[in-house]
Amino acid sequence: MTLANPITTLTLIALTALSILTTIGALWRLRRSDGQSVATGWHRMIVAVTALTTLGLFTQRWWAGGNWQPVTAHMDGLLLMACLLACAILFIQTRPRLMGLSAFALPVLTFVLGWGICASAWTYHPFDLRDLHPVWRGVHLAGVYLGTASCGIAAIAGGMYLYIQARLKHKSRLDGLGRLASLETLEYMIVRTATLGFVLLTLGLVSGVIVVSEDIHHLGNGWWYEPKILLAVLAWLVYALLMNVRYASSFRGRRAAWLSIIGLALLLATYGVVISFPSRNSSADTPEADLKPFDEVAAAAEIVYFGVESR
Amino acid sequence: MRVLFVGINHRTAPVELREKLAMGDDTQPHLEAFRQQFPGAECVIVSTCNRVELYVARPIHDQPKADDLHRFLADRFGVPVGEVASASIHREQDQALSHLFRVCCGLDSMVLGEPQVLGQVKRAYASATAAGVAGPVLHKIFQQAIATAKQARTATGIDAGRVSVGSVAADLARQVFADFSGKAVLGIGAGEVAKLTLRHMLDLEPKHLWLVNRTAQRAADLAQRLGLAHPRGGGRPWDQLDELLTQADIVVTSTASTQPILTPDRFKPILRRRRYRPLFVIDLAVPRDADPAIGSMTNLYLYNIDDLQSVVAQSLGQRSDQAQACEHYISQAVAACLNQITHQDLGHLIRKLRTKLHDIGQAEQKRTLKKLASTHDPEALDDALGEHTQRLINKILHLPLSQLDQRNGDAPLGFYAAALRRLFDLDDEAPAEPDAPGDTPNRAASLPTPDPATRSHGDP
Repeated sequence: MTLANPITTLTLIALTALSILTTIGALWRLRRSDGQSVATGWHRMIVAVTALTTLGLFTQRWWAGGNWQPVTAHMDGLLLMACLLACAILFIQTRPRLMGLSAFALPVLTFVLGWGICASAWTYHPFDLRDLHPVWRGVHLAGVYLGTASCGIAAIAGGMYLYIQARLKHKSRLDGLGRLASLETLEYMIVRTATLGFVLLTLGLVSGVIVVSEDIHHLGNGWWYEPKILLAVLAWLVYALLMNVRYASSFRGRRAAWLSIIGLALLLATYGVVISFPSRNSSADTPEADLKPFDEVAAAAEIVYFGVESR
Repeated sequence: MRVLFVGINHRTAPVELREKLAMGDDTQPHLEAFRQQFPGAECVIVSTCNRVELYVARPIHDQPKADDLHRFLADRFGVPVGEVASASIHREQDQALSHLFRVCCGLDSMVLGEPQVLGQVKRAYASATAAGVAGPVLHKIFQQAIATAKQARTATGIDAGRVSVGSVAADLARQVFADFSGKAVLGIGAGEVAKLTLRHMLDLEPKHLWLVNRTAQRAADLAQRLGLAHPRGGGRPWDQLDELLTQADIVVTSTASTQPILTPDRFKPILRRRRYRPLFVIDLAVPRDADPAIGSMTNLYLYNIDDLQSVVAQSLGQRSDQAQACEHYISQAVAACLNQITHQDLGHLIRKLRTKLHDIGQAEQKRTLKKLASTHDPEALDDALGEHTQRLINKILHLPLSQLDQRNGDAPLGFYAAALRRLFDLDDEAPAEPDAPGDTPNRAASLPTPDPATRSHGDP
């Protein structure tokens, strides 16, 4: 096992613990009263601290990496996603009718932070940055992680859509509903963030294919129907459908909300498969002994990227 | 200054009397009349459909008293004084303040916690300020009342939730749609219930509002009453119902039909033609116009009158819970406000006292200088200064000490004595011996009564 940095891991543990407490508080408040009471002063402060701390860790790792690539390991991508999510939560807390959304965003932020702990403490693998396509690889990683963050926001809006729709359909506690975002706003958010996510994921996939195509003989014949490839393509198709729900009208509303959640679940499953079930072209193939600590990232022997991995 | 309030409201007076005393939005002529009649007093008149209330601040021993205000109202509107007096309520000082604060918070309203009254009080205060009838005392009171009402409403959420079927329907529509500028509302039926709800829908400013009714003329009449004109909306023939259902985003139905007119069979093709755009259906009819089964269809939200009324009941229940918290806020704010007014009053009092003492001092100074002008004898100078000092002390003490006269049976001598001790730090003085054994006179009574001779001549 290679540890990214004990301080990073401990910081992530502290942030995750705070985030869990904030999540419980926000969900409790959402259930007890209404959306606007979700964001208390403490709540905002903790989210702001999370945003600043994850940004600080990300920058510090980038600086210590000694090259222009900001994302040198899966953990960097998770730190970037956590920072973007925390910033998104801070933004929605400034909008009175969107405040309730933070109760749905906080569990996702907690999940990303918790995943960051795993990626730092147990499954830390620096990427192999020694190939002939550093620019494409940069585009690939940025596309994958930023796209996932955008899809995460779509799923958060989807969760809130389903919550409000269930209350409207079942006519439960309607008196407090007036302070939450409208279904139309949430559907708009889902479609916009899913469209952005789709574009970024497409960039990530295309650039990944370009990088891999140079080394295709290493992958063998059946690389395109490996689970991670199929899952990634499936997620991509879900988002392709989601961005067009206004035209594919039978997928509007509740179905669009479910699609946004399913899309994120597929993306997470893809990450999970990449990390948990290594194949001939995945990171876990490399013996742990070969892995270098964080400060030798440039010389590390692994490459992990979304959908397609290579050595 | 003394603060009092006299007024009638929906609890104390029937609507007939409220109608007679209603001043509408323009209270200026009445404020002007008040100023002419009671030039030393401040006044704010709060006139709404549920209340006509006069908040007055006047010097303690000056006019107007409550009876004067009854007479003022009666004279202005040609109503017998007795009728006004018997239907009105009258409060003074902290109770008057408490009443105003409760009014601002909506605790005295017909619909508990309703927010409109705060705007009406603000307008009433602005009118009085513009007319120059609101002075420093009422400025302080009204500004505090408005600020406290805002704080209490924010902190307790007493005005949260809706308390009429129409406003609840509009709120739920806002929960489904974000922007109404491109939306269409369809009213089915032309009854009175629909009219009220459609008025709330009009407040959302939809692009179109159409009305259909089996009798086309009634739909056209209702459209006219709602101020709808082509192309924004208006009456449409009954046979266009399906087409309008395809285009509408919100449907308000309240026909007298005994059979449901909005059924799943009717809606299935319509939803397809609508491309599953969300549809919000409000069924205000009894028996119901919409088959409950359509409520489970995709992107269709159906609410009947019971659903809306249950939200109203929930809101009212919550408001009565919040009222307790509001009362707590108010009692604290009233105490603080009254304290500030008392301090303000005390400031005036101190200024008056200074002026009075200054006047006495100047008069004595003038007298002494006149005496000194004719003499250069040092002994005479000493005598003149001693006499000056003595006269000054006696003149200053004359009025307060005359109030401590034992013969003045009504005076609260004990209170005065305690005040004197406290104000002049006389606690260390040995108490005067009682005149006779067993006699325990009030300490105030033992204070020396000024000698009239000493007073007039200023001799020691």
